[in-house]
Amino acid sequence: MSELRIPGASPVAGPTAIQVARRREDVMIGDEIVRHRLASRVIHWVVAVFFFGALLTGMPIWSPVFGWMAYFFGGLSVCRWLHAWVGVAFAASVAVMFVLWMRDMMFDAHDRKFSVVEYMKFTGREDPDVGKYNAGQKFFFWMVAATGLVILLSGIVLWWPTYFSQTLRSISILLHDVCFIAFFAAIVGHIYLGTAAEPGTFHSMTRGTVTRAWAKLHHPRWYREVTGGRR
Amino acid sequence: MALQGLEIRRSSATLRGGGTGLRKLPTVAKYIDTSICIGCKACEVACQEWNDLPLAPTKQIGSYQTLPTMTANFWNLIQFREMDTKEYGFSWLMRKDQCMHCDEPGCLEACPAPGAIVQYVNGIVDVDPERCIGCGLCETGCPFDVPRYAQGTNKMAKCTLCVDRVSVGLEPACIKACPTGCLQFGDKSSIVEMAKHRVEQLKANGFEQAAYYDPPGVGGTGVITVLKHGDHPEWYGLPKDPTVPTTVSLWKRVLHPIGFVAMAAAVFGAIGHFMAFGPKKPTDSSRETGGEV
Repeated sequence: MSELRIPGASPVAGPTAIQVARRREDVMIGDEIVRHRLASRVIHWVVAVFFFGALLTGMPIWSPVFGWMAYFFGGLSVCRWLHAWVGVAFAASVAVMFVLWMRDMMFDAHDRKFSVVEYMKFTGREDPDVGKYNAGQKFFFWMVAATGLVILLSGIVLWWPTYFSQTLRSISILLHDVCFIAFFAAIVGHIYLGTAAEPGTFHSMTRGTVTRAWAKLHHPRWYREVTGGRR
Repeated sequence: MALQGLEIRRSSATLRGGGTGLRKLPTVAKYIDTSICIGCKACEVACQEWNDLPLAPTKQIGSYQTLPTMTANFWNLIQFREMDTKEYGFSWLMRKDQCMHCDEPGCLEACPAPGAIVQYVNGIVDVDPERCIGCGLCETGCPFDVPRYAQGTNKMAKCTLCVDRVSVGLEPACIKACPTGCLQFGDKSSIVEMAKHRVEQLKANGFEQAAYYDPPGVGGTGVITVLKHGDHPEWYGLPKDPTVPTTVSLWKRVLHPIGFVAMAAAVFGAIGHFMAFGPKKPTDSSRETGGEV
């Protein structure tokens, strides 16, 4: 049993960090800070599962080099059918995620100070005022939303090709492809930064909490806000 | 499909596929002389019969044309057009529409299913319904609007140039049925000679713009169509300068390589970045430095 400390509220004894992390974000519990409540984590993993579903059923259609992936689903014909439905599920879950996270992902004045180069050098000098999400994370969020929309619309055209004009189909093939390539590259970066590159981050997406040290290092302004300026 | 007697020259979505390349055969072609087609539809009936295609009831559409367009179970359609032009006055134009059996087939290039669309060594382009996944991408690759999709299965169906007959030395069913001799079949070189000869005849008879249709944009076709008005193929419903859509070539030949490079760059970039800059971790935390969670 750890102590729950909410800024401005009196300390409450009782629930564990995990229990708190189910419901509330941005609160301290003992030495941990709740970064993602249960709903956020669930939608993240729902999006992730549908993303990989769409990716693995789409790649064998994209190139015979990845034809082996089709066998996990029962062949290329199954992929052609499944890819469309998983794609719709992916788009729908991205829409829910968009609504849940949109407010946190609005760009603000602090984001202009964020230096991608300094960030990628891991110097810790990118911006002392990084809030709950840095400019790169916000950009990734908006990229997922925009790319998700384009890949859905072009996917609908490719789903029922006979109902659309040759021009629209041709454009959709290219857009679907460009979005896929962009998504693939971005997701590799996302997974890398969320696991090996920044230890502690993955825990926030599984159990919901991060350590004070992690918060201080990666999101100093958010850390100050959550702790109420305490060190 | 997958005829033992014929080697495969090209196969869809297949890297380093095809036949042994040992057994060579001349490219075959169908000859259509639109100037002496009487629109009797014998070729349509022969096609339905030989290929055992069920016929749906037809409707009177105010035209000497059986159906408005080809369908998945109607691969050979005599298109009918009434033309009224200043130079030539009033005329009826008949043109036999079917798969053109392009030398560089756009459908084959666009198809993502390995071996679903093949080009035999004699140039015939065929579909294997067993391998077709019904995605419809071939329609985007085809400059002649040929692919049709079977109801229910969504699989593509089109003229096979009666490859099952041709492979055993017979001519296609439509050719066999033609009563005026406007349809002929043979090696492409001899068919082109025949077309050239007929074009000369037509020119001598007042059709100075006569020409045969063998568009170079798709590498030539396995269907050579002689046109009285060779300068206006669009009068017959034929595209003037058909090519495989640039988007399809752009997609397969440019975007694919870029995609592979980008995917590899992302993976190796992440690995390289980790080795160069290491993990970014706080110094004073047990969990991030490998302690208990």
